[in-house]
Amino acid sequence: MTPVAIPTRATLDHYRPAWRQVTARITRHLDHGAGHRWLDLEMPAGFARPAAGQFVQLLHEPPSPVLLPRPMSVAGVTTRRGRHTVGFLYAPVGAGTRALAALEPGDQVEVLGPLGRGYPLDAPGTPVLVAGGRGVAPLLFAADELAARGRRTEFVFGARTRGLLVGVSEAKTRLAGIGGRMHVATDDGSRGRRGNVLDALQALAPRLDGPLVLHACGPHGMLKAVALWALENGHSAHLAMESVMACGTGVCRGCPLPRSAESSGRFRRERADAPSLYGNVEYAMCCTEGPVFAAGDLDWSRVT
Amino acid sequence: MSGVAGAGRAVAPRSVDLSVKLGRLTLANPILTASGTFGYGDEYAHVVDLERLGAVVTKTVTVHPRVGNAPVRIAETPSGMLNSIGLENVGIERYAREKLPKLRSLGATVIVSVGGETARELARLVESLADERGIAGFEINFSCPNVARGGARYWAAPRRLERTVRLLRGLTRHPLIAKLSPDVTSIADTAIACEQGGADALTAVNTFVGMAIDLEHARPKLARRTGGLSGPAIRPLALARCAEAVAAVRIPVIGSGGIMSGRDALEFIAIGAAAVQVGTASFVRPRASEEVLDEMRAWLAAHGYRRLADFRGAATEGGGGRPAPRGKTRAGARGLREEP
Repeated sequence: MTPVAIPTRATLDHYRPAWRQVTARITRHLDHGAGHRWLDLEMPAGFARPAAGQFVQLLHEPPSPVLLPRPMSVAGVTTRRGRHTVGFLYAPVGAGTRALAALEPGDQVEVLGPLGRGYPLDAPGTPVLVAGGRGVAPLLFAADELAARGRRTEFVFGARTRGLLVGVSEAKTRLAGIGGRMHVATDDGSRGRRGNVLDALQALAPRLDGPLVLHACGPHGMLKAVALWALENGHSAHLAMESVMACGTGVCRGCPLPRSAESSGRFRRERADAPSLYGNVEYAMCCTEGPVFAAGDLDWSRVT
Repeated sequence: MSGVAGAGRAVAPRSVDLSVKLGRLTLANPILTASGTFGYGDEYAHVVDLERLGAVVTKTVTVHPRVGNAPVRIAETPSGMLNSIGLENVGIERYAREKLPKLRSLGATVIVSVGGETARELARLVESLADERGIAGFEINFSCPNVARGGARYWAAPRRLERTVRLLRGLTRHPLIAKLSPDVTSIADTAIACEQGGADALTAVNTFVGMAIDLEHARPKLARRTGGLSGPAIRPLALARCAEAVAAVRIPVIGSGGIMSGRDALEFIAIGAAAVQVGTASFVRPRASEEVLDEMRAWLAAHGYRRLADFRGAATEGGGGRPAPRGKTRAGARGLREEP
C-alpha cells in the first residue's frame, strides 16, 4: 500500500446545538416497496432545516410502545414559506418502527433535531453517492441537494437482490436532471452488475474525473470496505455510521465509535477546544461528531 | 379533588412552597437532575432553564479524564434501558476550568458528583474543588455499576463507606450527599453507615445491575456484559429501596429511579423522600426535569397543598394518608424496618 494523505476534517469545528424537540404532524405515510415506508412530517416553524446526513430522534406521543426515541436519518426535505416537510424512508423491523408504521396522516409525533453532522456536499471533487440497501435514505436527500447545486453526481446502489433496491427509480429521476447516472449492483445479479457496491465502485472510478468524494451509507461492513478502498486510492470518503443511541445529543455518552490514531492525535492536540458533547481521545460520539465520519477518522479494525 | 385525606381546596400553583432543605442547603424546589443524565448542565441549557431546577447534579467527575467503556454501551429493555458508560468524563481539571464557570454564568445550583476508586481519590476531588465558587454541594457516587474499580461493589461495605464519608466530612463545609446502590443486601445498612460518617443527605438509588442478550449472536448486548438498568422499569424497585433508606436514617433522602412525571416524583415524596432526581427521562425529553417540576406543582395545588412539606411522608407507615407532621415519624420508620 502506498502512503497517501489521509483526507480528514480540517479541525474539530465547533458543534453548537441547534436542535429543538417539537411536535410534528404526519402529512403522508405510504408503502414504498420491499416492505419499506415513506413518512412525511410537517415541522413547526423554528425547526431548523436538516442537512443531508443529519438525523432526528423520533418519539411517539405517549403512551409510547418503546421508552427511547429512535434515530431516523432524513431522506428528503421540502420547504414552503419557511416551513419544512421532512421525509423518512424506513423499514418497520423493530418494536418502535412497527408502531410508527401504524400511524396515519394527521397523527402526531415528537421530533428532536436536527442532530449530528451531515455530508460535506460542497467538498471539491466528483461526488459519488454510495448506498447499500436501505442505507439509501440519506443519499436520496444528498442527491436532491447536489441536484439543487447543479453538481453532476454518480450514484452507486447495491443490495442483495433487486427487490431490495428501494427508492432506486426516484434516485434515478433526481440524477437525470443533473446528468448523473445510476450504477446498480446486486449480490445475485438480479439487476445491474453481479457483485457488491465496491465492485461497482471499482469499475466506475477509472471513468470519472478524480479526485472522488464518496458519500456512503449502508451496513458497517460495506462502509468499512468503501472507507479502506478510498484511503488506499487517495479519494475522500464520508460514511454515515449507525449506533444504538439513547439521547442522540451527546449527553448520555452511549454511542462511541473508535477513533483512528490520526484522529486521536488531532483530538489530543485540540482537546482544549473540543466541545464536551464530542467524544474523547479514544472514542468519537456517533451522534454529535457523526453520524457522518471521514474515512480517516475511525479505526476500522475496531468498528463492528 | 378527592382521594387525598387532609388536603384542602385547590390553591394557586404559584403559591405552593416547594422549597426543601438538605442539611444546610436550601433548594427552591425538590427537582434535581440525576448525575450522568444531564451532562455538565450546559449541554441542555438552550432548552432547559437551569435556574428553575432545584439543582443540577453534574456528570460524575474523576481525578483523571476517563474515556469510558468499549461499545456497545446502551441497550433498551422493556420500559427501561441498560447503560454501561463507565464514568466517561473530562476530569477534574477541565471540569473546574471550563464547566463550573459556565454553570455559574447560567445561574444553576450545582451539585458536583464525584467518583473515585479509593477514599484518597475522593478526598483529592473534594479538596481540589473546595475553594471553587458556585458549588452548592457534593454528591459522592458510591454506586456506579460499570467500572472495574471503585464501583458499587467496592462501596457496598458499610464500614468503608462510613470511614470514607468521615474523611470527606473533615475536608469541606459543603453538604455531602451519598448516592447509594440498590444492589446491596441491606440498603438500610449502607444508608446508616453514610449517616454515621456525617453525610448530610442520601440519594437512593443508582441503577440496578442488569443484562440483556442478543440471541442471534448469542452474546450480551452490552460489551461489558452487564450494565445499569434505569427508566420506569425500576421505579417500583427504587421506591421500595428509597422507602427503606428513609426509614433507616434521620437525614434527608433524595429519591431516584424511573421518574418520568410529576406524579412519579410525588410517589417518592409520599414515602418520605425530601427531593427527587430525574434521570433517564431527560434522554427521552430533554425538558423532562422542568416538566416534572410543573406537574408536581400543579398536582399539589389542585389537591390543596400550600407546601410540599405538608405532603411529604403521607404514604409512610404512620403517615396514614394524612399530611405528615414536620420532621420524621419514627413509628413509620420502625414499622418499615421490622417488615419480615
